[in-house]
Amino acid sequence: MIITGLVVGLVLGFVLQRGRFCVTGAFRDLTLTGNTRWFSALILLIAVHSIGLFLLNALGVITLEASPFPWLASIIGGLIFGFAMVLAGGCATGTYYRAGEGLVGSWFALIFYALVSAVMKNGPLASVTEGLRSITIESGTLQASTGLSPWVFVAIISAVAIAVTVHHNRKIATPVATLPPLKKGLAHILTEKRWNPFVTAVVIGVIATIAWPLSAATGRNSGLGITTPSANLTTFLGTGDASLVDWGVMLVIGILLGSFIAAKASGEFRIRVPDQGTVVKSILGGVGMGVGAAIAGGCTVGNAMVSTAQFEYQGWVATFFMIVGAGVAAKFTIKSGARTGAAQPVESRSA
Amino acid sequence: MKQVLETNGLVCPFPLVEAKDAIGGMDNGDELVINFDCTQATEAIPQWAAENGYPVTHFDRTGDASWTITVQKA
Repeated sequence: MIITGLVVGLVLGFVLQRGRFCVTGAFRDLTLTGNTRWFSALILLIAVHSIGLFLLNALGVITLEASPFPWLASIIGGLIFGFAMVLAGGCATGTYYRAGEGLVGSWFALIFYALVSAVMKNGPLASVTEGLRSITIESGTLQASTGLSPWVFVAIISAVAIAVTVHHNRKIATPVATLPPLKKGLAHILTEKRWNPFVTAVVIGVIATIAWPLSAATGRNSGLGITTPSANLTTFLGTGDASLVDWGVMLVIGILLGSFIAAKASGEFRIRVPDQGTVVKSILGGVGMGVGAAIAGGCTVGNAMVSTAQFEYQGWVATFFMIVGAGVAAKFTIKSGARTGAAQPVESRSA
Repeated sequence: MKQVLETNGLVCPFPLVEAKDAIGGMDNGDELVINFDCTQATEAIPQWAAENGYPVTHFDRTGDASWTITVQKA
């Protein structure tokens, strides 16, 4: 029943768009402004997901498999992906949901990301990817190398998640402005209201957890993933090999459709064509994301949400180097005062 | 005094980066009108204003996927 992948994708795409869940922004803010709000939401997401995964594992619903740690690939791939996602203006899921909102720059990024990840995973450069990923350290997880129960680490990340969630949801003196509501009830909550990032994080953590057994039931024993499915979709389109169309491929198609539905229903869909510079950056970013995610064995979802939740070194090391890569890219590309068209005074105009 | 910052066509984080720049050069009580079409900024700009104690005097849609927000420096 790979159709469940489409359903999970639809819901996830909807939630990502409405929640404005942007891991690129989270990583970029860390180094650019020191703002930890979105990164804290990601920690909460990982905590919820780790509780869910180890609970399902303990109940025998899913079987988490231990794998060795491809340390060199995690570092190199993480750096490249982190740098590239800032150029592209969104991580893997961010690019998918912005494409669904009608941002043409994200269409370019998405096409090149999916194409190049296929080149790196299924195509002529697959041997390069495999070569880098074959350099490994035997123990791939914190629980394997320490001999401790995974629940120790679940408890630690949960405690951190609670602390940062409380900290970031403390009352601030000035209320956060909201748009004047035009809708009521469920329509207001789903297609208008501003979602708290921490609520969005919990919802995504739950969706990610449900995803695993649904995917495993179709013979794909893993959770949410974007890069391999994107590569498989591209490869299928080029070869017609229908065996590549699995749960994951349905998931990414669902994300694109779900974010489009969310944007359309909220009056937030509009085809937006960027300037030349942004198009070039989006294409280069997409290429780099394809290279980086293939080498690192995952993007901000497969590594930063799913692998981290299993306490795999790959996830945490790749995530750390994504943050470093994003920081370097932010320093190079985001300078304040770069644009000449600064704010104009309008004293004579009644605005 | 009121200033207008047009950021339509700019993706995040640029609307917020430019808003910070613009408000830096303004006096207390001045208002900055930011027009933007990056969805994520509907979250980021009000949050930034609240964290800095800047009142938002106007915030509304101007069409599909476009918004205007007026932030007062305080």
